[in-house]
Amino acid sequence: MAHTQDKSSALSQGVIIFVYLAVLTIIEYFVALTFDATGLLIVIAIIKAALVMYYYMHVYKLNSDEGADNRNSYAYKAATDRLGLWLFLLSDTFVFAGLMVSRMNLLGLTRPHLNQALGLFVTAVLLVSSFFMNRGETAMKFGDVKGFMKNTAVTFVLGLAFLLGVVFVEWRMAAAEGLTASFGNPATGPVGGVFYLMTGMHAFHVLTGLIFLAVVWNNARKGIYTAEKHWGVEAATVYWHFVDLVWIFFYPALYLIGKVVQ
Amino acid sequence: MKNINPVWRGLISLIVFGALGYGVGFGISVLVNGAAKTSPAGPIPSVFALFFGFAAFFFGVIGYRGVTRGLTWQVIGTLVGAFVVVGIRAAMGLSAFDGKGFFLPEGAWVFGGLVGAISFMFGVGVLSDWVKWARGIETPEEHPQDESGWKKFFSVSLDHKVIGIQYVVTALLLISIGGLFALIFRTELAASQLQFLTEGLNIFSQNGLQLFNTLISLHGMIMIVSILLGIAGITNYVIPLLIGAQDMAFPRLNAFSFWIAVPAVVLLLSSLVLGGFDTGWTGYPPLSTLAPVGMQMFFLGVFVAGWSSILGAINLITTVVRMRAKGMTAWRMPILIWSSIAASLITLTATQFIGLSFQMVMFQRLFGMGFYDAAKGGNPILFQHLFWFYSHPVVYVFVLPGLGIISELLPVFSRKPLFGYRWVAMSSLGIAMVGYIVWAHHMFASGMNEYLRIPFMYSTLLVSVPTGVKFFSWVATMWRGKISTPTPMLFVLGAIMVFFIGGLTGPMNATVSTDLFLHDTYVIVGHFHDTIFGGFVFPFFAALYYWFPKATGRRMNETLGKIHFYLMTPSFFVLTFGMMYAGFLGMRRRIADYDPELHLDGIHLVTTIAGYLVAISVIVFIFNFFYSIKHGEKAEGNVWNSRSPEWQVPSPMPVHNYDKSFEVIGEPYDYGSGDNGYVKFIDEPASNAH
Ligand code: HEM
Ligand SMILES: [Cu+2]
Repeated sequence: MAHTQDKSSALSQGVIIFVYLAVLTIIEYFVALTFDATGLLIVIAIIKAALVMYYYMHVYKLNSDEGADNRNSYAYKAATDRLGLWLFLLSDTFVFAGLMVSRMNLLGLTRPHLNQALGLFVTAVLLVSSFFMNRGETAMKFGDVKGFMKNTAVTFVLGLAFLLGVVFVEWRMAAAEGLTASFGNPATGPVGGVFYLMTGMHAFHVLTGLIFLAVVWNNARKGIYTAEKHWGVEAATVYWHFVDLVWIFFYPALYLIGKVVQ
Repeated sequence: MKNINPVWRGLISLIVFGALGYGVGFGISVLVNGAAKTSPAGPIPSVFALFFGFAAFFFGVIGYRGVTRGLTWQVIGTLVGAFVVVGIRAAMGLSAFDGKGFFLPEGAWVFGGLVGAISFMFGVGVLSDWVKWARGIETPEEHPQDESGWKKFFSVSLDHKVIGIQYVVTALLLISIGGLFALIFRTELAASQLQFLTEGLNIFSQNGLQLFNTLISLHGMIMIVSILLGIAGITNYVIPLLIGAQDMAFPRLNAFSFWIAVPAVVLLLSSLVLGGFDTGWTGYPPLSTLAPVGMQMFFLGVFVAGWSSILGAINLITTVVRMRAKGMTAWRMPILIWSSIAASLITLTATQFIGLSFQMVMFQRLFGMGFYDAAKGGNPILFQHLFWFYSHPVVYVFVLPGLGIISELLPVFSRKPLFGYRWVAMSSLGIAMVGYIVWAHHMFASGMNEYLRIPFMYSTLLVSVPTGVKFFSWVATMWRGKISTPTPMLFVLGAIMVFFIGGLTGPMNATVSTDLFLHDTYVIVGHFHDTIFGGFVFPFFAALYYWFPKATGRRMNETLGKIHFYLMTPSFFVLTFGMMYAGFLGMRRRIADYDPELHLDGIHLVTTIAGYLVAISVIVFIFNFFYSIKHGEKAEGNVWNSRSPEWQVPSPMPVHNYDKSFEVIGEPYDYGSGDNGYVKFIDEPASNAH
């Protein structure tokens, strides 16, 4: 199991998972370009999500009985906090599920006309940020505060790039192509509204994730985390991967499945 | 001022500052709209009077701290947020003020309301520890000591017992407000024709008909919020005691969940004076896209209140999973815990859907995103799906904890084990699970795809199975028991009777062929009042009578309790049977007037009188509640002779709950079996929360 690994094998596991995710994303992209295969895209998204949840978010830790012999121990309390965090994420998932339901109801198997290269690019940026987040957390697990700070800084920059890319490049280009939030365009109908609401809600989560990262980075700088005690780091990591996880579903939902509405 | 009674001080400040706020608002209104267009009962003077009055009331009671500071910050935050939007609009060349008599444009009210709610949280002080953590500063493990006496209830406390009481008292306050609204519109309905809510009326920028609509809508939502808070109060107080924990898993989050409900309520109430809204509590578009700005405040208030329940649910589940006493395996948990967990799972997940559906209407109104506008390619039916995906399951959130209370108390007063413990435990989860797949029974008449009707009809009828399990268990538990009937037991019995009628009226609504006639009539109103009173209100009162001695060391007055029960129960039956009777004869829901030719005047008059009697009985209860805190008969021991751990230690419960931890050594409800009891205290200090 992952928690008995040494540092280098933990890091190389992160690399392998990243390669899997990257390859799956590329497959996804080319599948969507060449033929209409919504079912396949859903399967790929689920596989990617499962990889992220298991190897990056360490969902199996929910099941561990760390610190069970002493309820006042840090490990026991961290495990309690972990359950709380995952319940929160479960709840949050329903926001995004609701958005998906609305998207399917309003658009069916159509999608907005968007810049594919840009879509793939921001997706890649977010994926790479997750990779560095994983490295950062692994470093922290082995007590390497410097390594944590370095990798988290990279994650932060990539996350910021994603956020700015969506809001200032993507939204502008979409608007320039006639996608308005107020369903003005009779041909595209609700497409614009759905697009802005979904990306906007996701971007809001990226923003909160960035704030969270900044907070733990600063606290790491102050030296309050150690190899044994770094629940704050773990929480920020899991939250950041969750934001990525949402995008794993939103990216195909907005860019890949269905026919383009002009 | 020092030696005046704090309540009087509060009322004096309320009047003085309420008048001051009114003056300020009136002045603004005259400046912006001109004297001719300013109505004395217009929205702006009213909203300022409301805000200033509220804050000043608490200022008079406890001075500038706790809730006073929160409300003050909320007012300031609202104004700041609003003026940011006004500034942006001005910079964009849009009109900065609103011509329709609400002074600020809608976007400014919404953003202001949101900023105000967040400011409240900073002002009241629940965020300060988190801010410290974010800055890397540790806070002490031990909770800060609360001050003694009643004042601690007005500011932030991390003690789950204090928070539980804060929740309960707030719920009682909301029940009173919602009940008052009901009495107003019930009075109008007592006879056909319009009596006082007439078209000539002009108050809060609405005429009498609109005011009627606003009142029924707010009655619904305020009661829903009060139910959610009431349940949170009981579970917060009782569950850590039942499992032997010193507090909830996340005490700060717990305080946050309670306090966020306060600005939510202020937002909800402000919708009354900001033009109101005419959609009912369901807020269906397209009507809700046309209503005045009050609609937005309603949506925002519900959205904020939703966070209170979601975070509360996270806390409750985590507490139960992580902090149970030694030996308390799943099958030895008190039954109330099973049902609260089932309810929390629903809250945790489904609540997001109502938040989203309301948010989408808000965005539609603010940014013209026509999600629900058929003319622009949107789909109004989508709203109903999202809305009912929450709002049906939430009826189980209302009733499951109440049904748990029934199952919890019945064995105590029947002196017999709970019949079929495991089945009852599983039935709660069963109800919750089936509850997710029945929502469209509210939409049989909506114009959704017809083929959906049949599956939803059958899934709905399926709910009767786990519900039936509970009835079976209750009856079998009482059978040949040694039943005694102090007030809590009376309310338990009342709950079973009332819920029985409520349950029986469900299947006829669930059957498509009958529902097409019953939908939107008073039959539905009768149905859900029966289910909610049986599943929440009666058990809530039972729980309050039952655990009151635990909290105060005194018991509530039995005579007043019996008056409460024997006045409320028959009146309530008359009330709901009256509603259903009128409904079968063609009385529609949500209308202020009806045709005299329908000959419904008689039954409506009877129903209204019954409504007043229920209100009087609740006043008796509220009097009893506050009177008994000081003057009730002393009751420090195991008043009800219960097996449950919280009754094995003297009342009132000390600040840090149990001195020693306990171990579960028996079954929770084996009354009369002569075993060694449910729990045994062991020599080990109870473990800490953090
Ligand atoms: C568990 C306790 C229950 C509660 C708290 C409850 C509550 C409610 C509420 C609040 C409404 C009205 C919603 C509105 O339009 O404003 C309602 C309607 C309805 N209830 Fe229940 N109910 C319960 C049990 C049941 C059961 C057991 C059934 C069926 C087996 C049922 C079937 C229905 C149906 C079909 C409607 C929609 C009627 C219509 O609008 O035409 N309910 N219920
Ligand atoms: Cu329902």
